[in-house]
Amino acid sequence: MNDIAFILIVFFLVCASVEPEDGRSQVIPRSEKNEKAEASQSTEVGLTPATVTIDGTPYRLEEFPPRIRQLLAQKKTEAGRVVVLKSQADVPYAHWIAMTEIIEQAGGIVTLLLEEEQAVHLN
Amino acid sequence: MILRRKTFEATVPSMAMGDIAFLLLIFIVLLARARDESHLVWQPATGTELVKPANRNASVVIDRQNVTYLNGRAIPVETLAAELESLLGDLPAGGRTVLFKVHKDVIAEFFEPAIEAVSEAGGELHHVLEPASNPASAP
Repeated sequence: MNDIAFILIVFFLVCASVEPEDGRSQVIPRSEKNEKAEASQSTEVGLTPATVTIDGTPYRLEEFPPRIRQLLAQKKTEAGRVVVLKSQADVPYAHWIAMTEIIEQAGGIVTLLLEEEQAVHLN
Repeated sequence: MILRRKTFEATVPSMAMGDIAFLLLIFIVLLARARDESHLVWQPATGTELVKPANRNASVVIDRQNVTYLNGRAIPVETLAAELESLLGDLPAGGRTVLFKVHKDVIAEFFEPAIEAVSEAGGELHHVLEPASNPASAP
């Protein structure tokens, strides 16, 4: 009986320690490809915690999905569907993931535009 | 008077041996899954149309304190790409999944360099999310 009880304890421990793994896969092209994408006629989406811009034009959050769908529907090539995402440093992950989901559902290919680190020397 | 020697039978307790073998099996299975991240505090963001990853070769966690972990070990984000490259090695495309678990309130300053590192290492990102409670309100 002790053995059975011990095995049951181990079984429940294993069940309790199963980590969630459901989610969304995302292919982000490597950095060198980003440069190519920037050079082409890609769409640029800017993210701040409260707003979203497409090629510099600000949109309300509820206006964004139809607008990006409309824009990407006009793009016929894969290179044209590249969306360069430029996020402000204080954009939370939950907002970022929601916006990239909208872009990918609209057929866009997300690439990141990161701020380059710059060394500033003061005299 | 004739005294007979006592005879002893040596038998293997098959039931107990079976139990021990089963416990060893469970122990080995647990060791094989020894990517213990249960001590890390993070709350997933929400999403829709969630799928299970095809495989998992590495796990990157950014907890609520903005600390980056690779397979449960805290590392600086600057070394993440190199460490992932050595972990993923020459695995073929489709088999280079990196589970990406980020606390929902972590800001881009911390998670974007990690995404870039996964991309540099040729990893295939799998954002771990939780299903939106009301899918109609999700994007």
